[in-house]
Amino acid sequence: MQDETPRTDWRRYLPRLLLLIPFLAMVWVPSYNRLEPKLGDIPFFYWYQLAWILIGAVLILVVYLIEGEITRRS
Amino acid sequence: MNATATIIFVALFVLITMLGFVAAHWRKADLNVLHEWGLGGRRFGTIVTWFLLGGDLYTAYTFIAVPALVFGKGAMGFFAVPYTVLIYPILYTVFPRLWTETHARGHVTAADFVRDRFGSRLLALAIAATGFVATMPYIALQLVGMEVVIGALGFPTEGFTGHLPLIIAFVVLAAFTYKSGLRAPALIAVVKDLLIFITVIAAVIVIPAKLGGYGAIFAKVPAPKLILPAPTASSLGAYSAYFTLAFGSALALFLYPHSMTGILSSSDGNVIRRNAALLPAYSFVPGLIGLLGYMAIAAGVDQNPAHAAGFARYGSNYAVPALFLESFDSWFVGIAFAGIAIGALVPAAIMSIACANLFTRNLYKEFLRPDCSQAQEANMAKIVSLAVKVGAVVFILALPQDYAIQLQLLGGIWIIQLLPTILLGLYTRWRNASALLVGWATGLAIGTYMAATQGFATSVYPLSVFGVTLPGYAALYSVLVNFLLAIWLTPLFNRRSQPTHQ
Repeated sequence: MQDETPRTDWRRYLPRLLLLIPFLAMVWVPSYNRLEPKLGDIPFFYWYQLAWILIGAVLILVVYLIEGEITRRS
Repeated sequence: MNATATIIFVALFVLITMLGFVAAHWRKADLNVLHEWGLGGRRFGTIVTWFLLGGDLYTAYTFIAVPALVFGKGAMGFFAVPYTVLIYPILYTVFPRLWTETHARGHVTAADFVRDRFGSRLLALAIAATGFVATMPYIALQLVGMEVVIGALGFPTEGFTGHLPLIIAFVVLAAFTYKSGLRAPALIAVVKDLLIFITVIAAVIVIPAKLGGYGAIFAKVPAPKLILPAPTASSLGAYSAYFTLAFGSALALFLYPHSMTGILSSSDGNVIRRNAALLPAYSFVPGLIGLLGYMAIAAGVDQNPAHAAGFARYGSNYAVPALFLESFDSWFVGIAFAGIAIGALVPAAIMSIACANLFTRNLYKEFLRPDCSQAQEANMAKIVSLAVKVGAVVFILALPQDYAIQLQLLGGIWIIQLLPTILLGLYTRWRNASALLVGWATGLAIGTYMAATQGFATSVYPLSVFGVTLPGYAALYSVLVNFLLAIWLTPLFNRRSQPTHQ
């Protein structure tokens, strides 16, 4: 690999490591392939994965805000 | 025939038809220029882009097929939820970068980008052809979603009169897409999302109340369906299949040409970044639709003789329409079915525009008429968008529905083969088109072979590694081979072609 243009500072993208968390949570199927504990009457398998849509949304929002802050400061 | 439901259904359809034609005057510009017709002038802001990308992600087929899968196969069908979890981190990382790299150079398609980056007409053609071929059955499947709700309204489904509603709907779609281009689905997507959201929210509140709560619903689902079967000593079984289906589908999503159309039509990179941060909020409600499959089981829709004909004709795909017919007043059935049908039109329009852009830019202009004028280029795209839709209608009416489903399944395996080219083009300085072409061809062959060994009935391939079976999505396995080949061959080919290092 040869470089032609100056690279952007890699540390700028460090917050994106947070985005790996949803992958780790979802790839670990045995952690959520169960019925208990239920939330209300909904088995764990279902409410847990739906909850990850919300957790993932919050994580992305956090990364977006941090990156916006970094851009403003530099 | 369900009169009230049909009247509301038709009224909403007329409304969006008018919207589709009015859209030509929205942010008025010369629609005889390709990027005005096919990319809405690249002027869509955060909100319009939100609806446009939302229209890409959740199609009518999703709303019919996902609950149908849960209805038929139980927990396995729920992979649509981890898929939803995974698409947004990918979208956040890749989409803004794609926008930045393509917008400045005036690209209209992903193949334009590849042509520019790798300087290879052949690789660009391979990318364009793959996108085109993979999208065609996807458009056809939108018709399947529509056909099911039209049938559920009580229209006759046999013979020419039976096909008439579907043909009329697609003629209308073709007409306003021809006239207004991407502006039409962008405007209609707002109505579509409104209807779908109202429907899903009503469904997850009203139906459980009628069935005695979620506890009662889950209690009626046969226990083996509720969670995935555990792996055995010799096979990871459902575990690897479940995750690879979610992950592979998420990777394939942004490679489909219509995603590219959504990205490139936005006015600036911040719109894309903001959307990637905000869109996940959109997805919780569609995430709930899988549960409709269990509600259909609990309501016993397939036991009801009133729905026997529907199930005989459409199989599990009839589960959601039957559930709605049983649970809602007929005026609301009209709204819900209109939501699903319009949910078919929006992505079908975006997809046909994306296919038209690909054909026009990367085949017609590149190989056939390099000297064509802007107006000729735009005109060609409009005609191709018509041809694509006619093709989809003929496909659905003339061939068994299973063909469309099997081709869509293959489409996912084919489209993912663009991944190495797009990623290496976006993030590295590796530029060897031959290496990527070898990887692409091998990936296509292996993926198609894997699906063939399963009789094209499933895209899950039981890969054996050291005596352990890892059933997984053939798209993911084949693109892995593709990627390894590309990475191995790029330095190798570069060295051969440049004996004296520059």
